[in-house]
Amino acid sequence: MARQLLRPGRRRGRIRPGGLRRRLVVAFVLVAAVSAGALAVASYLLVRQARLQGSLTTSAVEAREDLNLAATITYPEAGGFVRAYEQRGTHVVLIFSGGRRVWSDARVNPPIPPVLRSFVRQGQLGYQRMDVGGLPYLVLAGRVPGSAAQLYLFFPEQGIERNLAQLRNTLTAAWLGVLLLAALVGRVLARRTLEPVARASEAARLMAGGRLDTRLPAGAADEFGAWAAAFNEMADALEAKIAALSAAQARELRFTANVAHELRTPLAALVAGASLLSDQVSHLPDPARRPVELLIADVRRLRTLVDELMEISRLDAGSEPVQQRLVDVRSIVAALISARGWEDRVTVDGEPLTLATDPRRVERILANLVGNAVEHGGRDIRVRTGTDGVHGCVDVADAGPGIPPEHLPHVFERFYKADSARTSAGSGLGLAIALENARLLGGNISVSSDVQRESVFRLVLPLGPAGDVSQR
Amino acid sequence: MRAVEHLPGNGWAVDERLLLVEDDASIREIASIGLKAVGFRVATAIDGREGLARVRACGFDAVILDVMLPSLDGFEVCREIRKFSRVPIVMLTARTDIIDVVVGLESGADDYVKKPFELPELIARLRAVLRRAAAPAEAEPIVAGGLEIDPAAFTVRKDGVELALTATEFRLLFELARRPGQVFTRELLLQRVWDYEYLGESHLVDVAIGRLRAKVEDDPSHPALIKTIRGVGYRLDRA
Repeated sequence: MARQLLRPGRRRGRIRPGGLRRRLVVAFVLVAAVSAGALAVASYLLVRQARLQGSLTTSAVEAREDLNLAATITYPEAGGFVRAYEQRGTHVVLIFSGGRRVWSDARVNPPIPPVLRSFVRQGQLGYQRMDVGGLPYLVLAGRVPGSAAQLYLFFPEQGIERNLAQLRNTLTAAWLGVLLLAALVGRVLARRTLEPVARASEAARLMAGGRLDTRLPAGAADEFGAWAAAFNEMADALEAKIAALSAAQARELRFTANVAHELRTPLAALVAGASLLSDQVSHLPDPARRPVELLIADVRRLRTLVDELMEISRLDAGSEPVQQRLVDVRSIVAALISARGWEDRVTVDGEPLTLATDPRRVERILANLVGNAVEHGGRDIRVRTGTDGVHGCVDVADAGPGIPPEHLPHVFERFYKADSARTSAGSGLGLAIALENARLLGGNISVSSDVQRESVFRLVLPLGPAGDVSQR
Repeated sequence: MRAVEHLPGNGWAVDERLLLVEDDASIREIASIGLKAVGFRVATAIDGREGLARVRACGFDAVILDVMLPSLDGFEVCREIRKFSRVPIVMLTARTDIIDVVVGLESGADDYVKKPFELPELIARLRAVLRRAAAPAEAEPIVAGGLEIDPAAFTVRKDGVELALTATEFRLLFELARRPGQVFTRELLLQRVWDYEYLGESHLVDVAIGRLRAKVEDDPSHPALIKTIRGVGYRLDRA
């Protein structure tokens, strides 16, 4: 559980919602079953014991009277004597000395248990419970006073057994009822008990989804109340932390934007001055000419860098407007190539490609990709346009030195340069800007490279409108 | 970069008088040197109030106006100037926020140059606005959509009433009206009116169309004369 709470989603497939609830219900039912069952069994046993004891006591009193009565009976009278018992449902066996037996019911001539017989022979009153013909009987036996005859009285106990069976049925039914009730109550209780858990997991899901202001209702004076308070505390801390981080990030972005912006005014004077100087380079005395040329080139580099910093901080601010036109990508490529004088280094082929997108951003992306190829790849740059029916794609390939695999994942990072000496002329932001622009247009840029052979940057853009872009 | 001497175009005279309103001393001085070097006569002002006062006091052929000015910002100065003059105005925007550019154009600027700029860029923009302010070569009056456009007199009348259009608005209307019914892409209008070679800022076109509509349409929010063709450009209806 704890792991799942800590890393929501990671093992989502194995979470069984309701598993805990089921376990709670099962436990509740088990406890109810065991305790109600024990209670039922105990009370059954007590009742049974009491009934049997009662039956024995009554029967013993009767047996003593019957023994006294039997003392007056002689063998020839015995037949009538025992038959009188049959009317009460009690079987009687009278055994005279010498082994002659008289029994009240011909069907009832059970073997007398030897233990009972030896008991009786010693002159004691004994009893035993046994089945006769499938029915329960209490057998009481004793020696007839003043003679060696033995009297065995079979008192029927079917009534008791019936009552006990009834009791068993009633108790079982009650036990089942208790189980059912326990299951129902358990369900309700489990749901009630686990409701805060469900709320908490919903809250955690919401928070994971970015709703950082999610809180649990606190105030309950139980463990869940304490838990909710702890959760809310954690959420407060998290929200504050994230707010602080976003504020720090916003400050950082603003700082970059401000730096770039503050650089602009002095840079504007530098750029204007350099452009004036560049007209005069040829008139300068020899020792000054080269330094001035370098100065002019450096001012241009600085300008590019500041421009690109401004551009990427605007993209970061996320407030960039996007236009939408029908854009003929091939003509944009042709125009940017001729504007930069790259005609002899870049070839264009593939199918014509028309996109509904922002022409200036497409121009920016492609200029940066082709510019990057010109700068790093050098030879045989090919721009190929194509479409898969949903997206348009533009490949910018060069037969250059390629990009080593360890650098490949980083080429779109800001100021990332594969050659650590930073000898190249670019600002280090060109590809990052291209990627940000592509994403702004609902597309992407990927790169693949084969060292010593070629590198291919692939721009993919949606053919149609990319989400909610306003038409100007 | 294009060399100053080989800029396309014609119809600009030397000795045109410019006012440069810029608070940064270095930029002001370098720009003055550069502009004078190609034959302009340059006056300068260091803040918005002074700039406005100078435009009021004596006419200039064009004004270069920084946006970020002390006392009165460039947008305000531009709006004030437009109340009494249609002198071509080129804004210098230090910020590249599109909003800034659009606000500048909406306050009546004819064009803008982003800081930092190389002098040839500024000079090219200046020459383009000056050329727009000069009378078109074809001087035949045009009547289209209830408008009488007289290029020679640089006037537009609607129902006999003269409309006050800036040079850029006039040139834009003139281009559209020369071929009523034809759809002009933004790129084509940028070439024809603003002298951009390719993919200039299309805000220039959109904002100027908006300003033009505000002046020539009966109901600018439901234009009957200058129609937007979605994803393509604009067209002046014959009507």
